[in-house]
Amino acid sequence: MSYVLKRLGRSFLTIFVVVSASFGLIRLLPGGPLDYLRAQMIQQGGSDLSTAEINRRIAAQTNIAVDEPVYVQYIDYMTAIFRGDFGQSIWYDQSVAGVIGPAIPWTVFLTATALFLAFTVGVSLGAFMAYKEGSTFDVGSTGVGLVLNSTPGYVVALLFIAFLGYRLQLFPTGGRYASELTPGLNVPFLASVLYHGTLPILSMAIVAFGGWALSMRGNSIRVLGEDYLRVARLRGLPTRRIALRYVARNAILPMYTGLMIAIGTVFGGAVIIENIFAYPGIGFYLIQAINARDSPLMMGAFILITVAMVIGITVADLTYGWLDPRAKGGASRESY
Amino acid sequence: MPRDSQTERRGAHDPIIEVRNASVTYDLEYRDAMVLDDVSIDLRRGEILGVVGESGSGKSMLANAMMDAVEEPGITTGEIRYYPERGSEPVNILDLSDEELRSLRWEEISMVFQGALSSFNPTMTVRGHFEETLDAHDYDVEEGMERARELLEDLYLDPDRVLDSYSHELSGGMSQRALIALSLVLEPQVLLMDEPTAALDLLMQRSILSLLDDIKEKYNLSILFITHDLPLVSGLADRLAILYAFELAEVGPSEQVVRNSQHPYTRALLRAVPSLDAPLETMRPIPGSAPNPANTPNGCHYAPRCPLATDECHEETPPWFDTADDQRTACFNHDDAGDAVPLELEVVES
Repeated sequence: MSYVLKRLGRSFLTIFVVVSASFGLIRLLPGGPLDYLRAQMIQQGGSDLSTAEINRRIAAQTNIAVDEPVYVQYIDYMTAIFRGDFGQSIWYDQSVAGVIGPAIPWTVFLTATALFLAFTVGVSLGAFMAYKEGSTFDVGSTGVGLVLNSTPGYVVALLFIAFLGYRLQLFPTGGRYASELTPGLNVPFLASVLYHGTLPILSMAIVAFGGWALSMRGNSIRVLGEDYLRVARLRGLPTRRIALRYVARNAILPMYTGLMIAIGTVFGGAVIIENIFAYPGIGFYLIQAINARDSPLMMGAFILITVAMVIGITVADLTYGWLDPRAKGGASRESY
Repeated sequence: MPRDSQTERRGAHDPIIEVRNASVTYDLEYRDAMVLDDVSIDLRRGEILGVVGESGSGKSMLANAMMDAVEEPGITTGEIRYYPERGSEPVNILDLSDEELRSLRWEEISMVFQGALSSFNPTMTVRGHFEETLDAHDYDVEEGMERARELLEDLYLDPDRVLDSYSHELSGGMSQRALIALSLVLEPQVLLMDEPTAALDLLMQRSILSLLDDIKEKYNLSILFITHDLPLVSGLADRLAILYAFELAEVGPSEQVVRNSQHPYTRALLRAVPSLDAPLETMRPIPGSAPNPANTPNGCHYAPRCPLATDECHEETPPWFDTADDQRTACFNHDDAGDAVPLELEVVES
């Protein structure tokens, strides 16, 4: 129990440090976003705006009150962030939470589906490759898996959009759903969502499943050679039980941490893909924010991505003992 | 040239498993490797038969062949006959279908491996192993678990604690005993033990061996005990079979084999075994090394290392000679073995 508390405390500390670092990045870097904002406002408003007015606007946008002492600024900033107030987006003229919030489900839809596809296909394929170890199928799949796993997702995405999107016009080249449809639980809308999501999801899944397959293959071959598998066969256990409870369970175990880290990337895992497919998710807004020097929006996206990652790894750590009894109660165990 | 397969006389003893001309070969690309060469031996009902040989001499192959469990791509030939009851019709194990084999294993003939820690699924409790075994063989699980608890108690383990543990939470000796209990949970008649004590310390070896005797009596077991440790098993086993380079060298009552072996290899082996009681200087290594399974000598496999070897030994496989009551030796020069390879000390107390 104390391990759980300690582990949770450490995760919270990590998040705290990350948020503090974001404050430092905004506030303390020379020529950073604050100076940029100030320069922009002076340019726009000319001399009409008093310094106090500019400071007030900057405070509203970034949660940082420029004329207060640094420690007050810091405390204000931190309390605002932990209340969920990430400030105002400069570019979209809305609260950062208002921009990012609605984008979250779309990004999660893309990355989670891609991860689910890659993981299930990869694990099944890997297990089958191990079972057929040394066959042409195994050697061929290993080669394909290696090549795909070394291909960056954006290359696949560009090929998809160039050929399937523009050349053959089989798939849409942007957007989350056809604009004439009304969002809701109706078939045409859901179909359109799937249709628009197909290429982004596939371009992420295709480059990822090879890696899962290769790890699963290696782990399965190791487990297949274990003594306990031989004993299980001699004990006459049904093939199904051996495949699931013995081989699969013990082969997937080492991949569990990787899976949790991958789940941690669901918020930030599709930055480039979303931009290629003009798919308004978190990654899309992140790049927009960087291009527009919209620092509050940028920071909001960064903090969200970090928190998701920390949560993923924490969950992996806390549940690992439940999956692998050998790691139970091991406070010294870390999965990263 | 198959050796006389009737050397083990029928009738006088009551075999539970008869192994006749059993060979195990691996079909390698360049040459066949024979890892068990024409072995014939009986496991008698109610006895403990110790099989002794150095590493890679085919001991485990013999045990595996007895339940037709030689792993692919090994091919087992010969005959393995199992007599469920005295005088009953034999079951020819090598002819059984997969399903028949599945129910024979563990229900009739069971096996204990060395390295008990790696014989358990690391992500399952010991209880899970017992339950799934009972379940897979359609035994009554509740009744079977009752038996499992009794077995564990007989092996001086705390059933509740052990059943709820994972293998990594048990010591080497505890998990080895738990594995013995697991192998007996379906009440088999025959227990094949493949170096069950190799990974344990001397004290634990002794205590497991003494438990084995009690267990054997209580559950009417016939035990094949494989080891490379001749002194360890000589006090326990009723009979000993000495394997050298994939074939049997000598078979006989333990006492007889240890005190009055007629085979130069057995005698050399006895001299090579370290003992706490004997000074180190009396230990004599056997010169040379055991042959490669893909390249065994033509005649007696031991001939290249044997001080008594003649031309005959190098060319012909020695037949069995009855050297004493119930003792047989595969050596042309068995009469001279005693003088040529003297036992300087009685290293074994029985």
